[in-house]
Amino acid sequence: MTVILEARDLVKRYPVADGEVEALRGVSLQVNAGEFVAIMGTSGSGKSTMLHLLGGLDSPTSGEVVIDGIVISSLDEERRTLTRRDKTGFVFQFFNLIPLLSVAENVALPFLIAGDSTNRHTERVGDLLAMVGLADKADHRPDQLSAGEQQRVALARALATKPAILLADEPTGNLDYTTGAEILDLLWDSADRLGQTVVLVTHDARAAAYADRVLVVRDGQVRDEIALGRRRDHQAGPLIARLAELGL
Amino acid sequence: MRLSGIAWRGLLARPLRTSLAVIGVALGVAIVAATMITGASADAALRGATTDLLGSADVRLRAFSDAGFTPRTVQALRAVPEVITAAPVSERRLVVHTAPGDDERVFTLQVIGVDADVEYRIRQPRLVEGVALSPDSPTDALVPATWAARQGLRLGDELRLDGRGEGVPPLRIIGLMADTGFAALDRGEVMVVSRSTLDESFTVPAPIRYLDLDLGQEPDEIAAGLEIVRGQLEEPFIVETAADASERLASAQASFGAVAFLFGLVAMVVGAFLVGNTLAMSVGERTREFGLLRAAGTTSRQVIGLVLRQGAAIGVAGSVLGILGGIALAGAMVGFLSSTRAALVAGLPLPIGGMLLAFVLGLGVTLAGAVVPALRSARLSPVAALRPSRRSGTGLGDRLRTLLVVELLVVGAGILLFPIDRAGTPLLPLVLSLALLLGGAVITAYLLEPLGRVIGRPFEWFFGAQGLLGRANLSRDRVRTGLTVGAMMIALAAVVALGTVAESARAGAERWVASILPGGNAIRSSVPLDVESFRPTFEGTDGLQVASAVLEVPAVYVTDDSQEEVSLAGIDPNVFQDAGSLIVSGADRADAYFALRNREAVLVPEAFADRHGVGVGDTITLGQPGATSANFGVAGIVDYTIPGRTPDGALIINAADARDLFGVTAASLWVMIPQADIAPSVFASAVRDTANQLAAQPLTARDLAGDLAGSLDRLVGLFDVLALIAVVIGALGIVNTLGIGISERVREIAILRSHGMTVGQVQAMVVAEAAIMGAIAGVLAIVTGLLVAFALVGGGASADLAAGVRLPWGLLVAVILVGTGVAALAGLYPARVAASLPIVRHLKQFE
Ligand SMILES: Nc1ncnc2c1ncn2[C@@H]1O[C@H](COP(=O)(O)OP(=O)(O)O)[C@@H](O)[C@H]1O
Ligand SMILES: [Mg+2]
Repeated sequence: MTVILEARDLVKRYPVADGEVEALRGVSLQVNAGEFVAIMGTSGSGKSTMLHLLGGLDSPTSGEVVIDGIVISSLDEERRTLTRRDKTGFVFQFFNLIPLLSVAENVALPFLIAGDSTNRHTERVGDLLAMVGLADKADHRPDQLSAGEQQRVALARALATKPAILLADEPTGNLDYTTGAEILDLLWDSADRLGQTVVLVTHDARAAAYADRVLVVRDGQVRDEIALGRRRDHQAGPLIARLAELGL
Repeated sequence: MRLSGIAWRGLLARPLRTSLAVIGVALGVAIVAATMITGASADAALRGATTDLLGSADVRLRAFSDAGFTPRTVQALRAVPEVITAAPVSERRLVVHTAPGDDERVFTLQVIGVDADVEYRIRQPRLVEGVALSPDSPTDALVPATWAARQGLRLGDELRLDGRGEGVPPLRIIGLMADTGFAALDRGEVMVVSRSTLDESFTVPAPIRYLDLDLGQEPDEIAAGLEIVRGQLEEPFIVETAADASERLASAQASFGAVAFLFGLVAMVVGAFLVGNTLAMSVGERTREFGLLRAAGTTSRQVIGLVLRQGAAIGVAGSVLGILGGIALAGAMVGFLSSTRAALVAGLPLPIGGMLLAFVLGLGVTLAGAVVPALRSARLSPVAALRPSRRSGTGLGDRLRTLLVVELLVVGAGILLFPIDRAGTPLLPLVLSLALLLGGAVITAYLLEPLGRVIGRPFEWFFGAQGLLGRANLSRDRVRTGLTVGAMMIALAAVVALGTVAESARAGAERWVASILPGGNAIRSSVPLDVESFRPTFEGTDGLQVASAVLEVPAVYVTDDSQEEVSLAGIDPNVFQDAGSLIVSGADRADAYFALRNREAVLVPEAFADRHGVGVGDTITLGQPGATSANFGVAGIVDYTIPGRTPDGALIINAADARDLFGVTAASLWVMIPQADIAPSVFASAVRDTANQLAAQPLTARDLAGDLAGSLDRLVGLFDVLALIAVVIGALGIVNTLGIGISERVREIAILRSHGMTVGQVQAMVVAEAAIMGAIAGVLAIVTGLLVAFALVGGGASADLAAGVRLPWGLLVAVILVGTGVAALAGLYPARVAASLPIVRHLKQFE
């Protein structure tokens, strides 16, 4: 098994008015290719910070992040951006889509950013939209979609370039349970059928239960690791039981 | 679609804001383009007028003495075989009446007499309507078409010359001339008749001022001809070149081009602030979007490219529109200038270079405005952009400084590219003015909050809580609001500067007239009147204390190696000293008059003194060609002097010297001093009566100053229009800024509304915010505008008359009111938008 994403002793401090906030206090982790990992923790525990560092959106105060053999944390801004373009796909909690662009254009955005024309990728975009069940809404504007549909477009876009890692930050945080489950199903499918590596950040055990492995974060540190294995049923029961055992 | 498509979509998604920015640039470019076109039109007019004035004449001889060339000389020249054509031109200032009746009108015109039979061999008549003079119809008259239109005169109308004998049929307008040739002289207040008709209008024939000669084709043929002519002429004369002739015509246009260009740049800078602000707003508004793009791997260079593309699109669209608008504006300006004769213009030439410059400037200034937001968008960290709360880190000074440096570079390049030298205007005051305006805009951003607290007071009192909230909103985004207020301030400051310069020039004109016209009244006759025989007539004026003749002497200033033509004016020192006239510098006034009374002393105009390095205590030699010359001690330097035939104006000597040394015994200018107890209007009408008896023109200080101020006011009026266009651009900026402010605080407005704020209150809040912005702009505009006026007046870039600044108080008050009013108007549309926001939807957003 190859390690596709690795964090080594990540520390992240934010300067604030009266000193510093230490959002991450030495985080190390490894994610294997094709694995679906959930990062779970309460609000403010440092999950988003971690995801941002793992995806190369930000650089750590100390420590290293290696994506697909590239030490992204030591790259300059420009090369970090290009690596991010190649290797990662992001889904955020909300406001993922560019309101000026149609659904199809939003999905094709990574190609546009890479300097391509949308015309060369219509087929790929069509496939992606079909995969998320929105083939008939290709020409809609984001504000004509429901919140769940918007997240599905965001997911399709994140998968467009077949990135090495898909990073999702509370993608269901803004959705009701059923709609959220649809997104999680899609994430799980992409891991299971396409072999996509997925890192999911969530505070919700029911969402984390879709993952093969759950990292429990508290106060900027990974406190526990719960291996669930790939299961088709996504039952949250075993995970909740383990968390209770650990006193979380 | 490609990534760049996002740039276009971004512009199209906000049609109102984008249009505002495009219009902002377009208006600025339009003014620059219109200035260029109008300048080219003025140049063409000057060239055309000079060419038409000299026609096919190879040389123009100007008679040195006021008596002009004699008819005998003309005959003698015509007999010379080398002279192909000799066309005499006589001149006389005359009072001209329309047909008698209730609507009889009276003008004073420069009447030009020509010999119709030879005239058209030298000059082609350019007639808008009607026919040329014919040799056998003595009642024919030509007048300029624009003058006739202004006076409501048409072909076939009658005109009567004052002093023309009884029973002689009136003149009839048979042709209307284009504004060129003779019609370009004396601001178009001229009439062309046959020379014999002009001669008959007075007991003495009108002096033949010019002789225009056709001497052949080849240069050596002409040179040889001129030598022969020199040998034939008894009276002294001066050979005038085309350059001399055009200089005579050009005096009024001198600083027109440069000042207009300054306003173009001002408008453009205001437009650029608008663009910079628009793009900064859309970057600010789309922080999240840029964050997403960056998260997905868009490099900072790509993001910069997006913003710059938007800037370029706005710049190109604005510049193209602006050039079209500029052509239209130039059409209006040329129409205005030619109908009022404020400057000489001809047609609408399209100078490719000038238009290109306007285009490049427009694009350059816009791109410069886009650079700051572009850099800012690139510096956005993707993480910060994705956080729910956002507040950009860069400080006020940082953002303003970059914008200013870029703007200054572009404007500086514009000034360097503009051929300012041609307009004869010093560069420094213009650059200083622009620097002051831009600097003022920056200071505005810093003073916004403290000033807002003070100036906001009355609004808080008037609008209550809404005024308070409106004022508080000013500090929400200090750079954005500061730039908007700064842009408005620049436009208003231009109005203040212009008004102050004009007012100062008006003050200068009044001072000038008062200092050369003791007692405020004078009579100018069209022929010199013998002092001794006409004195009783002048002294018959009711209420007169003393009538004093000014003896005008054409003369030359003689140095070891050269001679220069000068005008001398012989005055009675006692009269001028008692009336407090002539501002003397470089010597004590009483000493100067004492020296003048002691004879063989001269007061020289400042320009003359500077040019020749002559100072008080020096001795200069003045004389007449072929006659004796005399030495005069320079007793003082005068700030303003009696107008003479040379641009410097007259050198002042004692009238007794004019008589004894130069043999002058007749005067055409008489200063009329009233008794102390007589009412000015009564005396003025008595002077008018005396003038009428003599068929002469009464002059009053007020008329003279009014004439000067009137032609100034027409130019200022034109510039005011340009400055008001800049104010409109500034108002567009306010619409823009308020609009974005509202879209940013939809949730906040929704909360205010849910707590019971009415639709009307929301509107009042936005209008109050706008009005406070306008009031701050107005107050700061006064400070900045006055500084600019000092720079312009002090640096000599303004009208030549202004000496020292005089404040136009009414205008200063008006600027604050106009600023506040225009801004409040600009606030109306955003206010309506704010009032119609749906509450519930915005309360739910971003939970
Ligand atoms: N830009 C920032 N500046 C200061 N503190 C920050 C910043 N971003 C995050 N933090 C702090 O770091 C901690 C972790 O934040 P975050 O990673 O967003 O947590 P989570 O996503 O788990 O809710 C929190 O205490 C948060 O307040
Ligand atoms: Mg978070």
